[in-house]
Amino acid sequence: MGRGAGIGAIMSAIIAFAVGVTVMFSLLLGDNPALFGDLPDADELARRFALPADVLLRLVVIVVALSIVIGIANLLFVHVSRLTSGKFYSAVLLASFGFTIYWYVTRQGDTSLLEAVQLPIESALAALLFLSLALGGARVMGKRRDIWGLLFVAVVVVVLLASLPLAELAPLRAWSDWLMRVPVSAGARAMLLGIALGMVVAGVRALLGQDRAFRG
Amino acid sequence: MDKTTLQAVSALFVLATVALIYVARYVHARRRTQRQIAGLRAISGWAEQAIESNRPLHLAFGSAGIGEDNTASALAGAEFFHHVIGRAGAGDAAPIVSSSSATTVPLAQDTLRRGWQSGGTLTRTQWFPQGRRSIGYAAAVSGVIESERPSAHIFAGSFGPELALMLDSADRRGQGSLAVSDQLPGQAVAYAMADGVLIGEELFAAAGYVVAEGRTPADARVMDFWRALLIAGMTAALLLEAAGQLPWLSWPAVAVSGLILSGLGLLVYRRR
Repeated sequence: MGRGAGIGAIMSAIIAFAVGVTVMFSLLLGDNPALFGDLPDADELARRFALPADVLLRLVVIVVALSIVIGIANLLFVHVSRLTSGKFYSAVLLASFGFTIYWYVTRQGDTSLLEAVQLPIESALAALLFLSLALGGARVMGKRRDIWGLLFVAVVVVVLLASLPLAELAPLRAWSDWLMRVPVSAGARAMLLGIALGMVVAGVRALLGQDRAFRG
Repeated sequence: MDKTTLQAVSALFVLATVALIYVARYVHARRRTQRQIAGLRAISGWAEQAIESNRPLHLAFGSAGIGEDNTASALAGAEFFHHVIGRAGAGDAAPIVSSSSATTVPLAQDTLRRGWQSGGTLTRTQWFPQGRRSIGYAAAVSGVIESERPSAHIFAGSFGPELALMLDSADRRGQGSLAVSDQLPGQAVAYAMADGVLIGEELFAAAGYVVAEGRTPADARVMDFWRALLIAGMTAALLLEAAGQLPWLSWPAVAVSGLILSGLGLLVYRRR
């Protein structure tokens, strides 16, 4: 790592740490006047503490909104560069991009092109998604030849059968309801708890300026 | 719990995590032992295959984006991808990094630039607007799977059911796949269809398992510690509740059950 990159990494880490700690304490102290006890201007103090987080989070919203420009620039750059290697679909994408902008500008914000082309294509793909999911379910036993794979398939079969409107399958509905209410709900909560713990550790790493994005 | 207490507990939790991270780094420098995560074993093979076959790896963030609810997923994915890119660094074909969140584009480009020393990465970060239900992103990635013929795919970030389209495309072309999502529908699809799967929080620990050195493996242990503490707390609460409900259940029985459950948990943890 060069000297310039090293200084840049240190600066990034310092800025990340300063902003992270400021936002954290601003959110903690600014949102609760009770923390200032019986002070006569507790509300005003809480409001002042809340200000840094408010300003910084507004900045985030602006930056996030601007990032769409980066995305579009990336899309155009990638596909223009692919044109040189004769990629037909890139030419179609660029032509569609230009035509859609021309249509939108000349027709004063008319979105009928989006509704007539984009939505039917997405709906068709959504239908295809159903087939992919069904196929994926059928392939589970090929990929996971163990007790958990078998259990996965058994649960899927029970839930699917129970959702059929047949009187003969009524007893299965109680099983299906129990499966969804108890083991599925418990598993989902356990996974969400794990993800939340992971997010805390990742957040603290970012707060300490030790995430890869800040290390240069 | 009132608001002030909740805030104090939150602050303490964050400070305890900071302290644990430094303790884990100190301990890890002396004892480099980690539990095994089965889903990550294939990565070395895929990196070697990418180098030998001169085909890129495809790394996908999905809809994980900076400044959104799943910022941590995007950062964890970037850390993970950085180490994976380093493993395939001797090859000629730069990895492709895709995302459907525009805010992830700079992060993805930066990850690629740092990890891939040979340069030529500017067109390898690809943003596909996701549209409704991310179907547009899935369709575009399926196109990449067809045109670029990656050697393998790692989907680590935020995905919904649309992951099925991408995994199906990869599977039909015989390309390996590893998937993990912070969304439950995407996680279910990953379990059913991917060759390798990480479960939930393993996304945040994955980087620590690709690289043996440095701070990342130690940070993964902090998550394991919190999780173990959470399991122990929940088990204790469950047993105490049961003890209150069932008069015949004595305190020694609760203690013995707790010990047995902790032992079983430790055994499962060591075996993984």
